[in-house]
Amino acid sequence: MNKDLSKVRNIGISAHIDSGKTTLTERILFYTNRIHAIHEVRGKDGVGATMDSMELERERGITIQSAATHCTWKDIDINIIDTPGHVDFTVEVERALRVLDGAVLILDSVAGVQSQSITVNRQMTRYNVPRIAFINKCDRTGANPYKVTGMLRDKLDLNAHLVQMPIGLEANLQGMVDLILMKAVYFDGDNGETIRMEEIPAEMVREASERREALLEEVSMYSEELMEALLEGRDNIDPAIIYSAIRRGTIDLEFTPVMMGSAYKNKGVQLLLEAVDIFLPSPTDVTNMALDLNKGEEEFAVSNNPEDPLIMLAFKLEDGRYGQLTYVRTYQGELHKGDTVINSRTGKKVRVGRLCRMHADEMEEIEDCGSGDIVALFGIECASGDTFTAEGMNVSMTSMHVPEPVISLAIVPADNKSQINMSKALNRFTKEDPTFKTFVDHETGETIISGMGELHLEVYIERMKREYQAEVQVGAPQVAYRETISQRADFNYTHKKQTGGSGQFGRVAGFMEPLEEGDYEFVDKIVGGSIPREFISSCDKGFHKSMVKGALCGAPIVGVRCTVNDGAFHAVDSSDVAFQLAAAGAFREGYLKASPTIMEPIMKVAVEGPSEFQGPVMGSINQRRGMIIGTNEDGSYSVIEAEVPLSEMFGYSTTLRSLTQGKAEFTMEFANFKPVPKSVGDELIKKYEEERKNG
Amino acid sequence: MGNQLNEKTPLRALDISASTQAPSIGLVIARAGVGKTAILVQFALDNMLQGNKVLHVAIGAGVEKTRTWYADLLRTINGEDMEKIPGVMKQRMIMTFQESSFSKALLAERFDDLVDQDIFSPDCLIIDDYDFENCSRSDLEELIAFIKERNLQMAWFSATSHRGDDRKSASGVPAPCNEIEDLFNNVLLISPAEKEITLDILKSDSSRVKVGTSLNLDPSTLLIKKG
Repeated sequence: MNKDLSKVRNIGISAHIDSGKTTLTERILFYTNRIHAIHEVRGKDGVGATMDSMELERERGITIQSAATHCTWKDIDINIIDTPGHVDFTVEVERALRVLDGAVLILDSVAGVQSQSITVNRQMTRYNVPRIAFINKCDRTGANPYKVTGMLRDKLDLNAHLVQMPIGLEANLQGMVDLILMKAVYFDGDNGETIRMEEIPAEMVREASERREALLEEVSMYSEELMEALLEGRDNIDPAIIYSAIRRGTIDLEFTPVMMGSAYKNKGVQLLLEAVDIFLPSPTDVTNMALDLNKGEEEFAVSNNPEDPLIMLAFKLEDGRYGQLTYVRTYQGELHKGDTVINSRTGKKVRVGRLCRMHADEMEEIEDCGSGDIVALFGIECASGDTFTAEGMNVSMTSMHVPEPVISLAIVPADNKSQINMSKALNRFTKEDPTFKTFVDHETGETIISGMGELHLEVYIERMKREYQAEVQVGAPQVAYRETISQRADFNYTHKKQTGGSGQFGRVAGFMEPLEEGDYEFVDKIVGGSIPREFISSCDKGFHKSMVKGALCGAPIVGVRCTVNDGAFHAVDSSDVAFQLAAAGAFREGYLKASPTIMEPIMKVAVEGPSEFQGPVMGSINQRRGMIIGTNEDGSYSVIEAEVPLSEMFGYSTTLRSLTQGKAEFTMEFANFKPVPKSVGDELIKKYEEERKNG
Repeated sequence: MGNQLNEKTPLRALDISASTQAPSIGLVIARAGVGKTAILVQFALDNMLQGNKVLHVAIGAGVEKTRTWYADLLRTINGEDMEKIPGVMKQRMIMTFQESSFSKALLAERFDDLVDQDIFSPDCLIIDDYDFENCSRSDLEELIAFIKERNLQMAWFSATSHRGDDRKSASGVPAPCNEIEDLFNNVLLISPAEKEITLDILKSDSSRVKVGTSLNLDPSTLLIKKG
């Protein structure tokens, strides 16, 4: 690993599902000599691409977990995180983007900017990740990199410009013209490993010159030297000046260079690697912020200096054949084998026994790692998102945005052995993935798992079976409803039990009102000691416990502020328990007067497919209580964007397949919670009442 | 709902509601980047707040970008968050088309899909950035005939004029719409002046609006300036 941080690149590869991320990564590893044979994602040779290290991923042809890998291109060390493309696994993508300095956004040369590209682009913007666009699959029929570049500008609002142009397209794709070097580039050999540079074909010279001129004009904004050279009308501008201008624009998030090729046909990948080196930032080019826990979480920039005390973030856990692997990114300082570090969340000291550099399923033991590096540690007990520091520091990397789960289902182990293995698996998954949650429903005794979508939970159930040999029976998916109140209501409740033995007494009065931000808030406005100080926290506890299960359909209550302003106590009979019970009674009383409503998760759904099916698809969304936000028609292809209640989306993939002869696909992600219509609410209330009656 | 836009929107001063024609066909014309979309979105928002359904056809722009126009303008003009006004989101649907793929036939097909399946029945149609330069008079006549057939209350178009093209109709409508102004009941021209924007009413079918009136708008909010 390079000690010179300017020669390190931490990059992610993100895209819409099936845009060829895994194939591209595979080619990168081949050209950087990390692997010696090329396998396809859904390989006929039964081996599967190297980055899809989980058996399940190979079978489904999708990449579920971000496998980190290291490779070297010339003298540049590149750490690559291969990220999942499906929306259900968005947190994985977000986590990867958090630790990366730059990214490659892959687009399909035919479909262009798809719904997932929009999500991923939004995430990249949120984490200020500079990016290069790579238009893949230029060998496909209908490939049009110019159209895709236009989409990058219109749909993603990126200042995207081609730095290459294709020589031939579709089945006739031969190579590219490099608009900076003004050379034609071809890829010879069985695997395209030999690069041949030639003069630009005569018939393309004029177009290439025009495109180069437009490119230089655009990027001259980021370099005075280039601007001067253009004004002087110099013909032979040093490519280094152009590279530097593009690099500046890219790092400042003001420019997106667009590359192209076909990973599958081994064309353009080496040029992309060059671009990663030339255009994307090194760890010292970007500012990463940490929180000083000693100064009320004040933000400060990490130094990247290997001499400074260590700060590193655990961004991914994996339970592999070698035990628990923790992937970390160091932000400053150095880590050596045998060092002791502090987990700033738990305050515990941890000794680092072994350090490794990972290459999908293979690993290479190393002695130390420096600032800006991404490595894996063995045998460290921690959760994903934990920060490790040198002793004497109290610092955390900025917390990551984690969405609330929207779907849950009950799982029952098939036998005792499965029960034990299931616990192990759940323990592991919840540590790995903050959006995957599990708990035991005390009323039914069932284990409930919850997450971001049907596929998200399905994958974990499959992993339980395959990796942990835990056979489980799965219940029907349940939507995670919420209850909330819509108006202010007063309460005044006395809890009194004074018949024989030690009595209980407490009166709690005040009001509850809707809370816009947050789930729950408690306000103490007691004056004159009508409730003694020691019982104020009991009231808080009593209210808070009441939020767990609402009276309408048994869903958790959110968005309530409870204020107590009066009460009464008894010198002997008042106690912590008495006031907790009084507060619970007061909550019950106020809740029903406060116009409680049931809220349901609403998903943002995007259906993409041939325009001829737009009518039936819109109809199918309408039947599912969906609200169509808009349609986007681009020739023969269209995208319908809608908001649809999650409860109506079960089985939609089957409906969509039969409506569109399997030609359309959809993605969905959580948008917000909205009140359910009255008819749906009444149904849920009725169902809950029946469940309670039947015990 | 039952709400309305801020009193200072040019829309209020124009009192489009006093239109004597049904449907009222309007045109907003200006050079690129002056505020055509903003004026159209104001019309749309006012309709939505009054309970009318608006179909917004954006040519050459994305759904997300168009949504942002609505959210930003409502925040600027009324200080309100669109998501928080009950039911208002259901009053609008956005359709976007690539310039090359838009046609009356395609719009009619999509429109009828919505109405026939009882998904959305528009009262008002917005067509933003219609390509007047490359359409013939008969193309536009067909489109307007379609609007009339579908019983819409109003339709508004936007058109881009160009700095170097001085052609104008007798009533001052610039190219590329100088020869087709008779197809519209209302024509508004937006022109940038030094620290403000002028909105000229070149044509109107409202009983309460005088043709030739000029309004001075604040360029950041597109609201009528004081005085």
